Amino acid sequence: MQVTETSADGLKREYKVVLSAADIEEKVQARLEQLKDEVKLPGFRPGKVPESLLRKRYGQAVMGEVLEKAVNDSSQQAITERNLRPAMQPQIEITSYDEGQDLEYSIKLEVMPEIEPADFTKISLERLKVDIPDNEIDEALQRLAEQQKKTEPLSEERPAQSGDVLVIDFKGSVNGESLPGMEAEDHHLELGSNAFVGDFEDQLIGKNKGDEAEVKVTFPEAYGNEKLAGQEAVFQVKVKDILNATPADIDDELAKSYGAEDLEDLKSKLREHLGGEYQSLSRTLVKRQLLDELADRHDFEVPDGLVDMEFEAIWNRLQQDKEAGNLDPEDAEKDEETLKSEYRAIAERRVRLGLLLSEVGRLNEIDVAQEELQQALIQEAQRYPGREQEVFEHYQKNPQSVANLRGPLLEEKVVDHILDQAEVAERSVTPDELREEFDSQDSPEKTEKAKATKSKSDSSSGKKSASSGTAKKAASTKSKSTKKDESEGEGEAATTTKKSASTSKKSTAAKSTASKAGTGTSKAAGSKASSSKSTASKASSSKSSSSKKTSSESA
Amino acid sequence: MSKGRARTTAAGKLSGERMHEVIRKPVITEKATLAGEHNQVTFQVSLDATKPEIRTAVETLFKVKVKAVNTLRQQGKTKRFRGRPGQRSDYKKAMVTLEEGHSIDVTTGI
Repeated sequence: MQVTETSADGLKREYKVVLSAADIEEKVQARLEQLKDEVKLPGFRPGKVPESLLRKRYGQAVMGEVLEKAVNDSSQQAITERNLRPAMQPQIEITSYDEGQDLEYSIKLEVMPEIEPADFTKISLERLKVDIPDNEIDEALQRLAEQQKKTEPLSEERPAQSGDVLVIDFKGSVNGESLPGMEAEDHHLELGSNAFVGDFEDQLIGKNKGDEAEVKVTFPEAYGNEKLAGQEAVFQVKVKDILNATPADIDDELAKSYGAEDLEDLKSKLREHLGGEYQSLSRTLVKRQLLDELADRHDFEVPDGLVDMEFEAIWNRLQQDKEAGNLDPEDAEKDEETLKSEYRAIAERRVRLGLLLSEVGRLNEIDVAQEELQQALIQEAQRYPGREQEVFEHYQKNPQSVANLRGPLLEEKVVDHILDQAEVAERSVTPDELREEFDSQDSPEKTEKAKATKSKSDSSSGKKSASSGTAKKAASTKSKSTKKDESEGEGEAATTTKKSASTSKKSTAAKSTASKAGTGTSKAAGSKASSSKSTASKASSSKSSSSKKTSSESA
Repeated sequence: MSKGRARTTAAGKLSGERMHEVIRKPVITEKATLAGEHNQVTFQVSLDATKPEIRTAVETLFKVKVKAVNTLRQQGKTKRFRGRPGQRSDYKKAMVTLEEGHSIDVTTGI
């Protein structure tokens, strides 16, 4: 075997390998010899088939097999002999081969860059720490209490008012036709809870105990039941009793109903729960900072092949988004070239960080333990309730997907490792500040980017100064790339570990978790303004309470 | 097998069709390959083929010189198939010895 290096350009290497015909012939011979005992041909006793016949019949197949093996082995050998660490599968191309001739082929590969992890101790980060203020806990308690309303009969009779709970019998009909589900007896209806359609509840305000009333409501056009949608319905309602609803007292009793031992216990559980939310939020923040820092500190060369692959994955997703019609509006107005260069930069950054993290992991012998993997697997399975078994089977059958699970885990561990070394300053903030921080981390870039794109479009429409236009283009590209990384970056290192084949999957998975963390909070602040800031705390009512919650709501 | 067809007695005037009829297939067995080392090729031939016919057929089809032709009739075995006695067909084998320096690669076919 002769190996000659034909080119070495950056990370790219090319070798020419020559295998002599005699070597190959020898291997074929050996293989035929081996085959001899296995072959059964009519007219011959097993093992007595003459070699010439064997060669004629199986020669071609054996040759192919031997060649493939020879190429694999020799390329592997060439790589190990030179201590190369290929970044991805080497490309092998057979340049010339004829029977009885020397085999000549070329190996093209990209080696892993030499990565010198920067001194992590010099990285300084800021971790935001949230002390959960007591009032937040009180609020959460208040909400829990409201979900557990006590009802008691009125002390003295009075007309029903909003907030009361009525015990009613009702029977409804549409066009004189009664439909299933439109009647009930002894139904507890809280006025003002909007549990019923339209102004059903409002029409009951002012009724007295024992009153009978006729309530007319129109079902909205967008009602779930097609038969009822847009129809007018008449309900015969009898008010049997009016109950006074008051929130449950905040005491040990309430705590017990939520599965805690006493009020203090409930409080500490709430605190823990809220703390967990903020902790993961602040961790995401720190990780972003860290990744940014790392990206700034390292600029080693990155194998083009990996970048191509990552870019391909991003680009495909973009195309899919485009077809589905939910393209980022900011992207929609850009032409293909700009987009491509933007996403290419992102791909490169991801690959670089991925390589770096996996390298750090390798150097420090960080590995994912079997138990941790198991845990992740269980978590994954829990995401598909009722189909856990299938999930487990899937992972048992596909080691590749287990590798997908392992990626993010490893990344987390490496990040932990770096964080241990890095200088992490802690700053106490209030929950609101944390959330603001979280949002603001990409908002400044957003605005900056908006500016950049705006000025870019100005300049391009005006066509005054081409040079400044391109400069701004570059600026926008850059800010864009960082921004994109913010939103998707959480999983980026996982995306390009050595098992690069699985990149796209991994990144999507990581992305979904990241975006979940992000949207969860913003929604909490935005949509449910009435129930104050955090749906997070709403979710805090643990599992035992959740069933109660639903029951109390439906009552 | 086309019986009753006018057959040329002079072996040199065998029709092309007849030649392919005469030579059925090569016999590829351990014994036959062993004989191959002595410049002999074995064929299964039609039952009514004669030695001169076989000689011309082999000489023209494979473009070789034949030294001698030995033939034998192999009687079909009596076999039982689902309890009923059956008879395998008879066949004729021809061992053709070639002149020095000639050879036929039987495994590649015509």
